Amino acid sequence: MLSEFLTRWRYRLVPDHVLGEILSKTWIDNAIPFAILLLTLAVFGTLIPGLVTLTGFAALYAELGELIFVVLGMSLVMLAGGIDLSVGSVFALANFLTLLLFNMLGWPIPVVIALALLCGGLVGLVNGFLVGYLRLRAFLTTLVTLIIVRSIVDMLILAYAVKVANPVATSPIWDFISFDTFHGLPVALIVALVVAAAAHLFLTRLRPGWRILAVGGSRRSAYNAGLPVRRTIATTYVMSGVLAAAGGVFYAARLNAAGSDTGVGLEVLALTAAVLGGNSLGGGRGSVAKALLGAITVLIVSSSLIRLSLPTGATSFALGVVLLAAVAIDVRWVKNRSKLLSRVYVSPTYLKLPPAPSTEAGSASLYAVNDRLHEVELIGLGELDGPEDTILDAADHLYTGSRHGDVVRFIAPDYRRQEIFAHIGGHPLGMAFDSEGNLIVCVAGMGLYKIAPDRVVSKLSDQTNRSLLSVIDDSRMRLADDLDIAPDGRIFFSEATIRFDMSEWMVDALEARGNGRIICYDPRDRSSRTVISKLLFANGICMANDGESFFFAETWGCRISRYWFTGGKAGRREIVIENLPGYPDNINRASDGNYWLALVGMRTPAFDLGLAMPNFRRRMAQRIASDEWLFPNMNTGCVVKFNEAGVIVDCLWDGRGINHPMITSMREHKGYLYLGGVSNNRIGRYRIPGADPDWTGVGSYWGART
Amino acid sequence: MSLFAASGKPAWRYVQQENIVIAITAIVFLGFSVTLNNFLTTSNVLSLIQNVAILGILGLAMAQAIIGRGIDLSIVANMAVSVAATLQLANGGMPIALAIALGLALALVIGLINGMLIAYVEIPAIFATLAMGTAAYGFVRAALLNDNLIYLKAGGDGWFKWIGSGQIVGIPSSVVLFGIVAALMHVFLHHSLPGRFIYAMGDNPLAARTTGVPVRPTIVLQYVLSAGVAFLAGIVMATSVDSMETRIARSNLVYDVILVVVIGGIGLSGGKGKIRSVLVGTLLIGTLLNGMTIMDVQYTLQSIIKSLILLVAIIVDSLVNPRDEQTSQQGDI
Amino acid sequence: MKSTLKKLGFALLLAAATASFASFATADEPDDGLVKGANAALKGKKVAFVPIAMGFDLTEAWAAGLKQDAALYGYELTIRDPNWSVDAGAQAITQLIAEKPDVLVIHPPEIQAYTRLVQRANAAGIPVVTMNLKSGANGDAFIGADWYDIAVKQTNAVVKLCGKDSGKSGKIAVMQGVLTNPTSQYGIQAIQDVLKNHPDVQIVSNQAADWDASKAHAIATTVLKANPDLCAFIGMWDNMDVGVAAAIKEAGKTGQVYVVSSGGGNQASACDNIASGAFTTYISYDAKGQARDLMMTVRSLLEVKPESAGVHTEALYTPLKTITKDTLYTGACWSLPDVQKYGP
Repeated sequence: MLSEFLTRWRYRLVPDHVLGEILSKTWIDNAIPFAILLLTLAVFGTLIPGLVTLTGFAALYAELGELIFVVLGMSLVMLAGGIDLSVGSVFALANFLTLLLFNMLGWPIPVVIALALLCGGLVGLVNGFLVGYLRLRAFLTTLVTLIIVRSIVDMLILAYAVKVANPVATSPIWDFISFDTFHGLPVALIVALVVAAAAHLFLTRLRPGWRILAVGGSRRSAYNAGLPVRRTIATTYVMSGVLAAAGGVFYAARLNAAGSDTGVGLEVLALTAAVLGGNSLGGGRGSVAKALLGAITVLIVSSSLIRLSLPTGATSFALGVVLLAAVAIDVRWVKNRSKLLSRVYVSPTYLKLPPAPSTEAGSASLYAVNDRLHEVELIGLGELDGPEDTILDAADHLYTGSRHGDVVRFIAPDYRRQEIFAHIGGHPLGMAFDSEGNLIVCVAGMGLYKIAPDRVVSKLSDQTNRSLLSVIDDSRMRLADDLDIAPDGRIFFSEATIRFDMSEWMVDALEARGNGRIICYDPRDRSSRTVISKLLFANGICMANDGESFFFAETWGCRISRYWFTGGKAGRREIVIENLPGYPDNINRASDGNYWLALVGMRTPAFDLGLAMPNFRRRMAQRIASDEWLFPNMNTGCVVKFNEAGVIVDCLWDGRGINHPMITSMREHKGYLYLGGVSNNRIGRYRIPGADPDWTGVGSYWGART
Repeated sequence: MSLFAASGKPAWRYVQQENIVIAITAIVFLGFSVTLNNFLTTSNVLSLIQNVAILGILGLAMAQAIIGRGIDLSIVANMAVSVAATLQLANGGMPIALAIALGLALALVIGLINGMLIAYVEIPAIFATLAMGTAAYGFVRAALLNDNLIYLKAGGDGWFKWIGSGQIVGIPSSVVLFGIVAALMHVFLHHSLPGRFIYAMGDNPLAARTTGVPVRPTIVLQYVLSAGVAFLAGIVMATSVDSMETRIARSNLVYDVILVVVIGGIGLSGGKGKIRSVLVGTLLIGTLLNGMTIMDVQYTLQSIIKSLILLVAIIVDSLVNPRDEQTSQQGDI
Repeated sequence: MKSTLKKLGFALLLAAATASFASFATADEPDDGLVKGANAALKGKKVAFVPIAMGFDLTEAWAAGLKQDAALYGYELTIRDPNWSVDAGAQAITQLIAEKPDVLVIHPPEIQAYTRLVQRANAAGIPVVTMNLKSGANGDAFIGADWYDIAVKQTNAVVKLCGKDSGKSGKIAVMQGVLTNPTSQYGIQAIQDVLKNHPDVQIVSNQAADWDASKAHAIATTVLKANPDLCAFIGMWDNMDVGVAAAIKEAGKTGQVYVVSSGGGNQASACDNIASGAFTTYISYDAKGQARDLMMTVRSLLEVKPESAGVHTEALYTPLKTITKDTLYTGACWSLPDVQKYGP
């Protein structure tokens, strides 16, 4: 008993699901480079006293600015799936040109800078033309431009190095760029950060930036989608050239030196930084933040290694090993992230259900199996795909959803002819008519939608208030399931789970956590608000006849509750039926003032036992393939009728399991019961003996209309 | 064996690319012969080949890596440090044969690590070998060598010295060695199972794996082989100049190696090209370098000319073998 | 085994000697009015050295001198090795400026590379010593060779070897190192100036091998084939010129084609090569002597800190020594292992 108590509280207190949710966030991609940065700081901060201080960093600021320019350029090219090795040479060329034009020819600084950037852009254009338009290989092509530009720089140096050495002019702008700082930050770093911010906006908010990501993510798809693939790629090289040149200009300002060694190996450093930050070789994955993280890390590593006064070669060794380790981690991470995510995302919790009531045929049980549904008529057999819910309008036409995102209408009276009433998308599930005859539909994957009688589809709600501590974004609706409409027009609808999509809704059963909720949409101000949360797969909803409360089903909890949303008992919640033998789904009104309830599947002792053994389910989820997991039985179900006190008054089965075994919903209309099933290819129609032949659902809500 | 035929494209395309290079070589060669006084002499032609023999041997090592859709950028660093270590050990009094064995072992271990990183950790070859070159240079330089430039002192007059500076019937031994390695590499690539596997992997790595080619061990083999051949090239280099300058690890030499490989028509996407392509490429580069040196062209200008020729070669390659948007590999850089 | 024992014994002896010196210096040395103040001025000071790279004869010899003084006088020596990378060197100097050493010793790889940093260090009040390769700004002292003078001496030697009375062709080749280095910047000028008066000697090849022996080897081989009557090479650094010598040896022309080289006068790269005939003439700028100059300059800058750094640049040009087979005496060169063991 104690162990059960401990298990219960362990699963109540420890939020296992958070790990998987964190891993599923996109920002987790930045966590590893950030951790590497912290690790670097920790290691070198311990080795070098005074490194992690303002003055320790201040010496690096100007260089950091230059490096950020180059790494940004490299990252942009890598995002589009390329690589630019020529950045080091372009850097050197811009450096030399700046000095040549300013020191030797004494041209005004704005002109000098513009020309240097233009020159970098031209080299980028050559790269872009060759790689983008002629479709040469980026690595080899930029290697060639690396050598050519480097050689040109060498020749320029040979010819002008001595003359460049002695400035003929001074310029206040140049001195400003070279020496001035704002709050300790040199101009180079400030400009670099501004450019980085602009690049971030460009990539995340502007169409050309998206194109770069699209081309890098899947070049073929981008091409087939009609994006200008070649131009996009060429553009990235031009940008890389300009950015590398900008770095070179600031380098010239800082050192005023035209050495032949300038920028040698810079491409490797920039590549290391880009990859260390988490930008993938081959494109599609990366960001400006990653580039910045990588640049900072690389600079700290390389400068710390020099400061450590290691013996010759040790610096190279350490740099090489850091590079290898970073790429290894990156490669393994990219490859295994989804694997890891799928391993840890499913996080079962403890649920102890009382023993299920017997359903044995011929017994005295209220749930005893019978064969009354064997004789149902079938509508649309083989033409339907996933009619989860059904509804009938005042003219007796029958509506249902399909897995293809359509709402299908069968025409009365014989229901042989069908038409697509409207196309919404997603998978339309629960349905209800409002007082104006609009069809309100819960659509899995989309939210709450309205279809007007003239078939115009409009969105009512696809998000609610986000809860305070949620890791995943629970303001979005993933699996809106069933709805009902209060007399005042408010729409209460259930969302089965916030952690899984429609395609894997059954996996939520393995967790048996309160992932579901009930949301209220108020048409008066068009707001949505979560009313009840932490429900065990919130499912069917049905307004009670008092107009002040509704019944709702929790599928994995095997219980029906009642919630008062208005009146004297407003806010109260009571369990009406505690221990069903199966998994409850939709609830609907019956003509005799009771309520119909669909049991979508029946409980099994094995799965009930499994629910009380979360470790067992976790091991199962982690170690074996998903199609071998133990799932709840969803093959056979039944329809029961209960009264307001929660007493079962009737039970309908298809005992032989041939005609209509799987039931997720039922709708009474003029003496017939229409049966839906989420994975069925048919709708069942059962004649209810002794039922009121004039009673309709719409009428019971809104009164008879003419 | 025909199962592993190199590619589905008709053979004439490769012949065409190779022919272009052969034609360029012939034109350049003839041009130099006519315009330069001392070009067309037996001794100059021999020195022409001798000067690029080391480049050629390295090219052979690189070629088999590239054919298998890899690349070995650590080849020069590996050569420099392993041979420098050999010389240092020999200078310290170790028997020359033992020193060579240890140096070779060092080279092979570096190659092995390369292979493991690429095959098992799945780091892209460009990256693994780039970083490994830096790391290996740094490690050996810091742990084993006491100078950047290691002279060949011990064993400088015996058979060891002959490797790089001897002659057989008037032909420099480095040229002979180049020929032997080329022949062996040809046999390996075309007449041995691992060789055919390398072509299969280069052509389509996934298909190769699906059909049961031991992809990972073969990748490791490639980089170990590359390291071994590089070590040999290093020995030739060291014994011809009586020293090994480890700073070539940081030079552009590895780009020259890629140049001789690619220019002959071995595509970087793997599966294409033959040993003959390396020979053709080596010959073209040798002719160019030799002619330009005779003309006293500055080294920097030589680099530009070499690079432009490489650029022309890959542009022609991309025109002859155009990449298709629908079938090209994502992330193929 | 025996030599190892010997080395060990010597090391012990040296350690004992150093220890006794130290105790002597700190304990009861009589104050002659100068020595105590001088020693106290050095104690606890910080000296930083940024070479082009460690691991070759020049920088190792200089560093050996500084290390010896640091141990003896108790100043703290920091060596940051950029390993041939100019950027890494600039980074190291930038950081050192922030750390404010008492003297900064630099060895610039190129004329302009560190100019601005030297000015910045001086502005921060740090005295700077420039070693061997001139910079745009040299700080408080320059210790090193006069590259113009070296090249003049080399060219004169070549003129004597290949000029009109020698019976040779008069064709020479120049093997440069890195083009932006002062060796090339001033050396080429000197060669041209000297040859102006000697039209009988002409340069048939003038290329740069980036201080790389194997590149020099490849270039020299072709130059020799292209000019079978070549008379001599002028090389700009011994460590690179061994490649040239090897090419000459392979061509079987040792003794016919001369190599006129220059360098720090290390036994292995200078005198051994002269003795073997690989080099014909060698201009030594005696790195061991430079090491002593450096030690003294650093001490003097530590003792009397200049009122404003970098205003006066003391120029200590190293005396040059011409070594040929005829002037090859014991002690013409120095040995790196010995300097590292016993000091310059």
